[in-house]
Amino acid sequence: MATALVLGAAQGGLYVGDLLVISISFLILMLCVGKFAWKPVAKMMETRRNKITDDLDNAAKARQRANELADKREKELNNTRTEATQIVSEARQDGEAQRQAIVEQAQVEAKNLKENAQRDAQQAHIDALNSARAEVAQLSVDIASKLIGRELSASDHENLINTYIKDLGESHGTK
Amino acid sequence: MNDKFPIVTFCGLRFNLCIDLSVLITCIVVFALAFAFSRKPQLRPTKKQNMMEWLMSFTNNIVDAAIPAEDSGNFYLFAFVLFAFIFVSNQLGLLVELIVGGNTWIDSPTANAVVTLGLAMMVLLMSHCYGVKKYGFKGYLKGYIKPMSMLLPINLVEEFTNFMTLGLRLYGNIFAGEVLLMLIANMATSLHLGAIAVMPLEMIWQAFSAFIGSIQAFVFVTLGMVYISSKLQEE
Repeated sequence: MATALVLGAAQGGLYVGDLLVISISFLILMLCVGKFAWKPVAKMMETRRNKITDDLDNAAKARQRANELADKREKELNNTRTEATQIVSEARQDGEAQRQAIVEQAQVEAKNLKENAQRDAQQAHIDALNSARAEVAQLSVDIASKLIGRELSASDHENLINTYIKDLGESHGTK
Repeated sequence: MNDKFPIVTFCGLRFNLCIDLSVLITCIVVFALAFAFSRKPQLRPTKKQNMMEWLMSFTNNIVDAAIPAEDSGNFYLFAFVLFAFIFVSNQLGLLVELIVGGNTWIDSPTANAVVTLGLAMMVLLMSHCYGVKKYGFKGYLKGYIKPMSMLLPINLVEEFTNFMTLGLRLYGNIFAGEVLLMLIANMATSLHLGAIAVMPLEMIWQAFSAFIGSIQAFVFVTLGMVYISSKLQEE
């Protein structure tokens, strides 16, 4: 080959023609490959790179949001639980208080009723006694006046009745 | 591999038709493959697209390894086409070896020093151009007296040796492989062994040459990028 090189130079022709062919065809090859093969594939690779970067970013963002939501929910759940406990205990206290109040009221009412009844009974008893006393007195006066035919004085009369009632009471009491 | 080539002179320029035809075939093959592999690119790549993308990122990595990030964008396509071109060139002579009338018509283009030196010249011209573009002509010239002016002759010689080694390394590897292929094939007649006897040896050597061809394509692109980066970086 070296001899060929020297020979070529000696013939005065050097390999300029071949060099031209090589460089021009290489240049054309580079342009064609660049336009028809390199560019679309490189573009697609770039698109893919961007997509992957975007996807990774989005995934990170989504994960962060999910974590935040989970935290928030956890907190809310805890709040709800304490709130529920509070409500239940409040309700229990209210119920207790109400029960107490009702019982007390009932007791007071019952007491009142009892007192009223007692008072009424006593009153009735006294009234009955009084009316009986008065009637008996009148009756005895009538009887006496009919028997004796004379009017007793009021005071004698009263003494008489009292003695009579006393005797009556004693005879009842022995029973 | 034969020492005789069809040579024509046209407009005072000398054309070796074997080189020109092989380069043309190489270009067509490279373009056809790249074109076929890059049809309908999709977000979820198909098998062909994967192949193309793998090759692209392979050459992109070669560029990234040598050239600083702010300049690397200019060289991705160049490195890709250079790699594909040299790779296909290296394999072409292993597949096809057309000799008509004593003249070789189709061969590995890179088994010819003109082609490899031409490619090396292209790479180094690019390195000088980008050096001037980046630092201006003055800054570019200053690069030759760095780190001290005493080294000017050595720097100048280095430019020349870079050019020669880059081109001749590739040429030597491929040329030697082709010569040996031809010698093994000739053994069949010269040693009266018969075609079948030499076939295993020929196949082994073809496989090895294919391996060498791939390695040399990688080495050429890597070194080319290193030479370009040495013009782009302040040392």
